[in-house]
Amino acid sequence: MIWNMNNTNNIPGPHIDDDLKWKAKIFIAFVFVLFTILLLRLMNMQVFKGSYYEGLARNNRIRIVSIPAQRGKILDRNMEVLADNRPAYNLIAIPEDISDVSFIAHRIAGILGIDEEDMVEKIRDAKKRPYDPVALARDISFHQMASIETQLYTLPGLSIDATSERDYVLKELGAHVLGFLGEISRKQLEGLKPGSPYAPGDPIGKTGVESICEETLRGTKGVRVFEVDAMGRKTKILDEKPPVPGEDVVLTIDKRLQLAAYKSMAGRAGSVVAMDPGTGDILAMVSSPSFDPNLFLSPMTPKAWKGIIEDPMHPLENRPIRGQYSPGSVFKVIIAALALRNNFITPQDTVYCPGAYSLGDSTFKCWRRGGHGNMDLVSALAQSCDVYFYVLGERLGIDRISSFCTDLGLGRPTGVEFKDELSGLVPTKEWKYRRFGEQWQKGESVITAIGQGFTLVTPMQMAKVMSSVVNGGNVLTPRVLGSTEISKERTLNIREADLAVIKEGLREVVESEKGTARAVRNPEFVMGGKTGTVQVVRGYTSNLPDQSDLPYKLRDHAWFFGFSPVENPEIVVVAIVEHGGSGSSIAAPVVRDVIKEYYAGKGPGDEQVCQDNR
Amino acid sequence: MSRYARITDNIDWGLITTALAIVFIGLLCLYSSSRGTGMAIFYKQLMWIAIGVLVMIVVFVVDYRVLLRSAWPLYILMIFGLVLVLVIGREISGARRWISLGPMGIQPSELAKVLMIIWLAYWGEQKKHIQGYGIRELVLPTFFILIPVGLILVEPDLGTAGIVALISCTLMLLLGIKRSTFIGLLVLFVSAMPFVWFSLKEYQRMRILTFLDPSRDPLGSGYHAMQSKIAVGSGGLLGKGFLEGTQTQLRFLPEHHTDFIFSVVAEEWGFAGSALLLLLYVALVTKITQIGFKAKDRFGTMICFGVAAYFTLHIFINIAMAVGIFPVVGVPLPFISYGGSFMLINWLCIGLVLNIAWRRFMF
Repeated sequence: MIWNMNNTNNIPGPHIDDDLKWKAKIFIAFVFVLFTILLLRLMNMQVFKGSYYEGLARNNRIRIVSIPAQRGKILDRNMEVLADNRPAYNLIAIPEDISDVSFIAHRIAGILGIDEEDMVEKIRDAKKRPYDPVALARDISFHQMASIETQLYTLPGLSIDATSERDYVLKELGAHVLGFLGEISRKQLEGLKPGSPYAPGDPIGKTGVESICEETLRGTKGVRVFEVDAMGRKTKILDEKPPVPGEDVVLTIDKRLQLAAYKSMAGRAGSVVAMDPGTGDILAMVSSPSFDPNLFLSPMTPKAWKGIIEDPMHPLENRPIRGQYSPGSVFKVIIAALALRNNFITPQDTVYCPGAYSLGDSTFKCWRRGGHGNMDLVSALAQSCDVYFYVLGERLGIDRISSFCTDLGLGRPTGVEFKDELSGLVPTKEWKYRRFGEQWQKGESVITAIGQGFTLVTPMQMAKVMSSVVNGGNVLTPRVLGSTEISKERTLNIREADLAVIKEGLREVVESEKGTARAVRNPEFVMGGKTGTVQVVRGYTSNLPDQSDLPYKLRDHAWFFGFSPVENPEIVVVAIVEHGGSGSSIAAPVVRDVIKEYYAGKGPGDEQVCQDNR
Repeated sequence: MSRYARITDNIDWGLITTALAIVFIGLLCLYSSSRGTGMAIFYKQLMWIAIGVLVMIVVFVVDYRVLLRSAWPLYILMIFGLVLVLVIGREISGARRWISLGPMGIQPSELAKVLMIIWLAYWGEQKKHIQGYGIRELVLPTFFILIPVGLILVEPDLGTAGIVALISCTLMLLLGIKRSTFIGLLVLFVSAMPFVWFSLKEYQRMRILTFLDPSRDPLGSGYHAMQSKIAVGSGGLLGKGFLEGTQTQLRFLPEHHTDFIFSVVAEEWGFAGSALLLLLYVALVTKITQIGFKAKDRFGTMICFGVAAYFTLHIFINIAMAVGIFPVVGVPLPFISYGGSFMLINWLCIGLVLNIAWRRFMF
C-alpha cells in the first residue's frame, strides 16, 4: 500500500507507535471514501446527467435586476433642501430577452422620437452581457412612459423602472459645494473591491459633497428576482428585497447667505466664504461664475460641454479652495497680531508715514502718495498705511512671519472636507533658494508685510485665518458637514488687550471717517473688516487713477474681509473679486450684503426659537 | 556531499509541486471568474500566493520542535486573536470575522485552525503514556477545544467552528479513546442534536432546511446551490472551455471567487478537470499522511495528520457543497479560493509538513 513505504525506506527508523498506526490507516481509508464519494457524484452529474444540466444552463430563466436606492438629500443648516430627488422613468432591457432587435429598436425609436440606428447599436452592444439589465433610455417623459407601459406585452425584454433622478434645486447657486453626480467611470469600476455595490451605469458623486458623502447618501440597492418565459416576458416575481434609501446629509451652509453672496457676485469672477468663527462652520461658499450641476446628470451635448470647458472665466473651478491669490493688505491683520504678540510694537507706538519708505537703494511707496503722517496701530489698520507695515515687516523678518503663517494654517490645505484643496504658499528663505537659487532680500520681507510678496492664500484659508484672529486666537478647521464637535488645531496666545486693539483698528476701517471701507458703513449693524487690493501687474496699475481704463485681465484683484459683531464675532466673511479694482469699492459691498442677510435671517429666527421654548 | 545538496535533496519536492499545480488551476479559475468584475482580486491573489510561499519557507527553516515548547503561548495567542476580533473586528453582513490591518484584513479564525492542530499534537506528545482516553482524561482537552470553537461560533462563523471542531475530534480519535467512552459519547452526541439545532441562528437553520429541500428558498442558499449544481453539471465531460462557462461569466454563480469557485473549475473544465483536481488533492493528502508515518516523533505525526484532516475537511465540504450533497456553509477550497488569510495558512501547513519530513533525518 502506498503509505506503507516506511518499510522500504532505508532511512533511520520511523517512530510511529503501533496503536497510532492502525487508527491512522482507518483515517486514510476514510479520506479515500470521502474522495470517492465526490468523484462518483461528479461523474454522475457531469458525465451521465451533463446534458440535463446543460439544458438548465441554456434555459436559465431566472433574471436578477437591482432596484436603485433613493439617494439621500442634501440639506442646509436650517433643513432647507439643497439637493433633492424627483421621480423619473428609465426604459430597462434585458438584452438576452430581446430576440428581434430591429423590431424593438424601431418601436422604441418611434415612441421616444430618437434615432433608430443608435438604438439598434445600443442593444447590440448590450448583448455582449446578455443577462445584465441596461437602461436603453433614461429619464423619459411621463407620456412616453405611459405609452410604453401599455404596450409592454408586445415588447419582450423591456420594462419600465420607476426611479428617481437628482434635482439640484438651487441650480448654479450651490454647484461647487454640492458637486454633482455622474455615471461611474470605467476606471473607478476597475478599482473596486469585490462585493462593492456599483455596477456599470450607476451614478456616483463626482465632486463636492456628493463625492465626500457618497457612502452616506448612496443607500443600499434592492434586488428583484423574477422568472421569464421563453419570450423573455416576466412571468412571476420570485423575490424582492426593497432598497434602503440613503441618509440625508446636513451641511453647515445657510441657503440664505449662499443666495445673498451669489447674487452680490453676479457678473463677477471670484469667491465668497462665510464662516462662523466660533465653530468653523462654513455658512456660505460661493465660487463665481458658476454652472448648473443638473446639466451633468445626463450625457451632455459636445457643444454644451465645450461651452463650459472653454469659458474663459472657468466656471468649473472651485475658487474658494483652489483659487490662490496674494493676500494684499488683508495680510496686515496677521502682521499686526504677530507684532503685538511678540512685543515688536505697542499699540501706542507711532510711525511717521511720509508716503514712502527707503531701505538700502530701494524705495517702497505707500498707496497714499502724500503720506499718512503719524500712524499708530489702530489708524494704520484703519487707513491701511503701507509704510507702518513696511517698518514692521523689516523688524519682524521673514522667518518670524512665515512661521506665524504656518501656525495659522497657511501653506497647507485648511482641512475642510473637500478633497482637491490647494495649499497656497508661505515663502521662506529656503523656499526662495530652492525655487530661484537666490538669497532672500530684505525688501522682500518688507513687501510680504503688506501682502504683496510671494505669499499665496485661498479664500478658504483667508476665512480660517481671519476667524482665528478675531475669535481670540483659536485656529479652527473649517467644515461644511454639520457636526457638534469643534476641531481646534492650536491656540495662538493673543492677549485680550492686543485683540481689542486689532479689533478697534478693523472696526475703524468701516466705521471711522478715514477708514478705507467707510463707504459700506450702514446703520443696521456694526462691522469690522479690512480691505485689500492685489496688483496683478506689479508697479503698473497703482499709478492709474481709474482701474476701468485698464483691460480686464490687468485690473487689480479686490479683497475684503469683514466680521460682525465686533465684540463677539458670529460671522466672518471673506470676498475676493478677480480683477475687480480696489477692495473697498468692489469686494466690501459683497461682504456687507452677506452680513446684512445674516442679521435679517437671524432676527425673526431667534424669536421663533424663543416662542417654541415657551 | 555538500551540506547544501543534502538540504535540498531531502526536501519533499513532490509535495510542493502538487500544491503549486493546484494553485495554478486556482489561478485559471480566478482569472476567469474575475474578468467581469475587475482584475484587482486576481493580482491580489498572486500577491498572497507569493507571501504564502515565503511563509512556507520561514516555517520550514525553524525546527518544528520549537512549536512543542511554544504550544501554550501559541494557544494563548489564538484565544487573544479570537477575542480581539469580537472586540475590534470589522462587521460585515452581521458577522465579525476580520481584523483590519491597514488595507488588508486578517481572519484570526483561519489561524486558529492550524494553532489548534499544534496544540493538540503537543497534548498528544505530553500524554503519550495514556493508552485510550477515558472520560476523566478527556475533560481538559475538551475544555481547551471548546474555548476557541465557542469564540468562533460567537462571530458567528458556523463553517469555521465546525472545521476546528472536526479537526480536533479527528486528532482526539487518533490519540485513542476507550471503546466504552467512545460509544457513550456517540450516544450523547446524537441525543444532543436537537439542542444544537435550536441554538443555531435563523439563517443557519434555513440553510440546512434548504439543503434538505432546495425548493424551499430558491433565492437564498437554495438559489446558490441550484445555480452551482447547474454550473457543475453543465460542464459535462470536457467542460465548456476556459473563459467559456456561461454560469460563471453571466454571473448566475454567486461567490464564485470564494466558496463556489469549484463550480468554475467544473463548468469550464468538465469532469476531466474536476477529476484531475481531485486526484491532485488526493496526492497532496496522501503525501502528507506518508510523512506523518515517517515522522521521528509523535508530535510530528500528529501535526501531519492534523494537516491532512485540515485539507481533507475543507476539500470535502467545499466540493460537496458545490455538487449539492452538503448544506451551504462558508468553507473555502484550499489553494484555490480567493482569500489572503486562508492562502497563507495553506502554505504554512505545507511548510510545517516539509519541516517534519526534512527533520526526520536530523538527530
